[in-house]
Amino acid sequence: MKSGRWITETGSSTYLSEAVAIWLRDLRGEFRTRYAVNSILMFAVTTLIAVSFSIGSFRIGDDEQPFLYAVLLWIILVFSALSGLSRSFVKEEEAGTMDVLKLSARPQAVFLGKLFFNLTLLGALELIIVPSFILLMNYEIKLPGLFTAMVVSGGIGLGGGTTIVAAMIAQASARGALFSVLSFPLLLPLMITAIKGCEKSAVGTNNPGWPEVRIAVAYSIVMIVMSLFLFPLIWEESMQ
Amino acid sequence: MYSLKVSYLCKHYSQTLLFKDISFELHPGEVLAITGWNGSGKSTLLRIIAGLVRPTTGKVEMFFKGESIPKESRRRFVGMVAPAFSLYEELTALENLEFFCKVRGIAYDRKSCLAMMERTGLSENAHKLCRNYSSGMKQRLKLAQALLHSPPLLLLDEPGCNLDSKGMKIVENIIAAQRQLGMTVIASNEKREVDYGDRVINLSE
Repeated sequence: MKSGRWITETGSSTYLSEAVAIWLRDLRGEFRTRYAVNSILMFAVTTLIAVSFSIGSFRIGDDEQPFLYAVLLWIILVFSALSGLSRSFVKEEEAGTMDVLKLSARPQAVFLGKLFFNLTLLGALELIIVPSFILLMNYEIKLPGLFTAMVVSGGIGLGGGTTIVAAMIAQASARGALFSVLSFPLLLPLMITAIKGCEKSAVGTNNPGWPEVRIAVAYSIVMIVMSLFLFPLIWEESMQ
Repeated sequence: MYSLKVSYLCKHYSQTLLFKDISFELHPGEVLAITGWNGSGKSTLLRIIAGLVRPTTGKVEMFFKGESIPKESRRRFVGMVAPAFSLYEELTALENLEFFCKVRGIAYDRKSCLAMMERTGLSENAHKLCRNYSSGMKQRLKLAQALLHSPPLLLLDEPGCNLDSKGMKIVENIIAAQRQLGMTVIASNEKREVDYGDRVINLSE
């Protein structure tokens, strides 16, 4: 056996293959422990039921429904995400696996792997919560294409924003509070855009080019690309 | 082929000086033992060599055929075992090795992973979740993980930690085999482990 097997076989390793390995490992671990899924889903379902019982579909006037329902939907999605998405990095720190990961993987691949994992969780959350919300609240959507594009692009932006904040707070002592405090200003522009987009899809205002979707897509791209540059610095900075 | 050069390393934590002016060179086939009282900085020194901790002053360089390996890449030429390290408890031992193969860019080969488990005496428990492992079995799995990519530099922080006599024999065999592959640095206070070293650095002096 020759020394430095990594050198000779590095041709088979790409950022993407490493990221996929991390993503699949996280999914397998999550499937067995269900820490993040339980935390996110419990928060989302409890909030959804509380909202649907207390507000229902009849207490809000028809004119106000599109805006208020969009606000409620995004509040449920964002705060559910905040309740569990920090786990992606925090669990590595808590379990003591971060150092081995640092010795094995490149930082960008780790970030991408964690991002894929968070996007998978968010996708599952949206698949459950959005149809349930529409049914329970009798949410009438006139432009389903715009609505779907808004929910998907908003979800990607939400995943990008929360993943980089999760990486930043992983070594802090008051992680939970910090995660929410740091995420909120970062996600606010996206939330406002997503609420506007969902409101327009309910009202039926079809602006050419779906500007809110384009803003959310641009936000997601900027957030993910900036995070790929920023994450190696966070990774290095943790080595005191 | 590979060599390690440590120059004037010094590490402070807040106002506390852990060690200063640590310098040495290591070449293939050599084993260096680092010893010292608890808190003297043995583990920190190993973490600095691995690139997991930044030194206050001084530098660590690794060379391949005389060319310096960038710090970011250096970590991937290192195999390290330390008491503070953990593997993924929700995965089986074999899944852990499979993950580290993939993430290190080694073509995953079930047979070589099983062979590695055989080498560390874990083959019968390859499909058991790590959370059900004893501390000695976890230590053996950490050794298997560290050796997976045949690293040119093996850093062993208290390698015999939690191991029984059979486990200690495995460590001895690993160190002997590593002499053919590359360099080894051992941090320990156990006489048996320190004796594996060709040279000893005592951080308490």
